[in-house]
Amino acid sequence: MIEVTQVSKWFGDVVAVSDVSFGVGPGVTALLGPNGAGKSTLLRLLCGLTRPSQGSVRVLGDDPRRHPELFRRIGLVPQQEALFEGMTARTFVSLAAELHAVTAPGAAAEAALATVDLDPGDTRTVASYSKGMRQRVKVAQALVHDPEVLILDEPLDGLDPRQRLGLITLFRRLGDEGRTVLVSSHVLDEVERFGSRVLVLAQGRLAAEGDFHAIRQLMDNRPHRLRLRTDAPHALGAALLGTGTVVGLAVSGTDQLVVDTLDVAGFRLAVAPAARQAGARLLELVPLDDDLESVFRYLVGPGGSR
Amino acid sequence: MTALYRMFLAAQVTRGRMSGLGALGLLAVLLGVALGAGDGADPVGDGISLVNTFGLSLFVPVTTLVFASAVLGEPNEDGTLAYLWLRPVARWRLVAAALAAALTVSLPTVVVPMAVAAAATGAGGALVAATAASCTLATVAYAGIFLWLGLRVRRALVWGLAYILVWEGFVATSGGTASLLAVRSHTRSLLARLAGGPEQLVEVSAATAVALPIAAAVVAFALTVRRLTRQDVA
Repeated sequence: MIEVTQVSKWFGDVVAVSDVSFGVGPGVTALLGPNGAGKSTLLRLLCGLTRPSQGSVRVLGDDPRRHPELFRRIGLVPQQEALFEGMTARTFVSLAAELHAVTAPGAAAEAALATVDLDPGDTRTVASYSKGMRQRVKVAQALVHDPEVLILDEPLDGLDPRQRLGLITLFRRLGDEGRTVLVSSHVLDEVERFGSRVLVLAQGRLAAEGDFHAIRQLMDNRPHRLRLRTDAPHALGAALLGTGTVVGLAVSGTDQLVVDTLDVAGFRLAVAPAARQAGARLLELVPLDDDLESVFRYLVGPGGSR
Repeated sequence: MTALYRMFLAAQVTRGRMSGLGALGLLAVLLGVALGAGDGADPVGDGISLVNTFGLSLFVPVTTLVFASAVLGEPNEDGTLAYLWLRPVARWRLVAAALAAALTVSLPTVVVPMAVAAAATGAGGALVAATAASCTLATVAYAGIFLWLGLRVRRALVWGLAYILVWEGFVATSGGTASLLAVRSHTRSLLARLAGGPEQLVEVSAATAVALPIAAAVVAFALTVRRLTRQDVA
């Protein structure tokens, strides 16, 4: 359905996407990456909104930039928040349906809005909508012509938990029906709920791809760094080295220890007994690299893509 | 294309634009009334001068700039163009709908007050017809040019005003071959010919005076389609 071959995109001196190749078939695929990783640029390339500096993009066998007719079969939720502010949600989605030559565009718009839990009879303009409502209007306009390929750029941004669950369920249903659904996100736990295949993009490069659970395990198995604050850092450090859960250790200042471990769970179990043994008071334990940026840095760090 | 046209048209008609440009139109009528109330020896010449100086040099190009540059320029800048671009619609149809919307709102905004102003001068029906024809021709040409400009550059209003003042103002009044390349030269020429006044700026036939501005609009239309097809969309 989607074939990306050695695609690079640069804007002046800035490389947004670098030599990326992958294929996406029916079902839900998540495009995961931190902010600035190149996800939106990649999705724009897939829809033809921008052309690759190098390489080729094929969606349903064609280049969408050259064949506008292809858009009959593609739906996109773009990242930008702007909508036609003076329109009601129904008018906006109905316009999309008309431009796709959908039979009975009004009815199609009402159905699409109902699918995303919005009131088709709402007479307010979208300018007065909350961010969550605007996101759902964007999803409705992408769904209104019943596309085979659905490309969604951070569609869950700004939604409350109930709305997120509703859209995740919708995307999974569309995937189960045989549509190709590509969803981008920078939230690891969000992607987990898609229960899908994952493409991990970091610094414009494809850092990993495959089953989510395998990639999650790879992420969890990486070395972790934690900071401990204690009144006896040297004594506690010596005791921790004896537990066998620490692969690196450094004393910082008069009351801090920074440790590297490959086994976070084992370390957490060992740290309190070690403190008791060393006669040290454990004042604080803080993970230093649990944010997604650190995970991605690890994935694209020395040793290359994993 | 009707849906696109309706959408573009609705986006054009804002209270701010209509009141600002409506005030300019009212000013044109008041100037015509004032001219008609005087006892000038050459009402046709005075009327042509009014339509030239206020209408074809200022009111028509500025009004058309405001509307035409915004039709595609605003959605291009705020990112909503993506919602139109991502549809299975030929790019020329998008541009045609945008041009039709710009003309729909620009033409009555400029032609009606200018024709009323010409009538108010008391110079006769020929001046009114000439004013309507030359303002219509100018609006068509500028709509094509400014539609392209709106898509091509950011802050199209500033660039457009610079074009009106420098190119249309300076080049059109410089005389010689260069003035053949300014829309204003031809519309002024058409106005003078139809109203029975003296030729101004360029000596061209009425057919040439009509054909060249229309050709400019057609070329600008083609450039806009090309631009929309090739540019990155936000």
